[in-house]
Amino acid sequence: MVHVNVGVLYSRIRRDEKLLLNELRERDHDVEKIDVRTERFSIAEPPASLEDVDIVVDRCLSTSRSLYATQFCDGYGIPVVNSHGTAEVCADKVKNSLALQNAGVPTPETNVAFTKDSALEAIESFGYPCVLKPVVGSWGRLMAKIDSRDAAEAILEHKATLGHYEHKVFYVQEFVEKPGRDIRVLAIDGEPVAAMARSSDHWLTNAAKGAETDVFELDEEAIDLVKKASDCVGGGLLGVDLMEAGDSYTVHEVNHTVEFKALNDAVGTDVPGRIVDWLETKAAEETSEVTA
Amino acid sequence: MTECVECGADVTLHDDIEVGEIVDCTTCGAELEVVGVAPPVLDRAPELEEDWGE
Repeated sequence: MVHVNVGVLYSRIRRDEKLLLNELRERDHDVEKIDVRTERFSIAEPPASLEDVDIVVDRCLSTSRSLYATQFCDGYGIPVVNSHGTAEVCADKVKNSLALQNAGVPTPETNVAFTKDSALEAIESFGYPCVLKPVVGSWGRLMAKIDSRDAAEAILEHKATLGHYEHKVFYVQEFVEKPGRDIRVLAIDGEPVAAMARSSDHWLTNAAKGAETDVFELDEEAIDLVKKASDCVGGGLLGVDLMEAGDSYTVHEVNHTVEFKALNDAVGTDVPGRIVDWLETKAAEETSEVTA
Repeated sequence: MTECVECGADVTLHDDIEVGEIVDCTTCGAELEVVGVAPPVLDRAPELEEDWGE
């Protein structure tokens, strides 16, 4: 087994990071924990914490920090997973949807509008209910299922006055009638590692919202879609979210700093073990490329 | 065992705590961040920010 010095970018150690750290240490790898809140990134040279690492794992909780930190790693020539390119696509729902659409992956019909009036037109064209999402965000936060024109007008007014320019990018999506659950697949370079169904009476079925989780067996179609979805965002360690739509699937998003604690609890697969297997392989590949 | 910076109650910690980990004070419910492990030191955890997630 190759010995690896792994840099872990973080700002909070969730149970996910703890599982990962424990697995790395059990295999006697060196771990450099890098708290991005206290680190400084020079445009000229890497900080001391990154000098000796073979590979960096981005586990930043904050999307903005994740994007910049991975870009700095790219600039320093230090291998980082997931790549900045993957992070850039996954961090933004507009880019995420465009990538899925352009790759021919079924994804919910989506309109983007830049003013309240054009957003209201988009909402009316979808009919009710439809969904309004922030372009950056996670865990189901600030997601709105819009059931009426009155609600649409109120929510658009609120978003337009929230202040941040991103709230004036209105991401409007069809409401997909799913069977009370969606499917989270953790995939490594397009290969499913484990999958779970997340069930809830609420329209939001995020595990972070308290949805119940259970192991889910992927069929050939789902496996194929996971591969395509992963490829179109640049691959890596990803959380691919699918909904069952009729007798097929639709992929609504791909997450690049995927949480896996709920999945690890729900399935028999050793998820952190599989992730570290992959990191060892990636590090070995990078080392052989450098020495070749 | 260490003290909650919010209410002063004793907080019991696992043996394998990590810097950066969040623990809850079972007395007042505050979220506390582990900022040191030997000896254990706790601080108030940062508030949730809009771009946090996965």
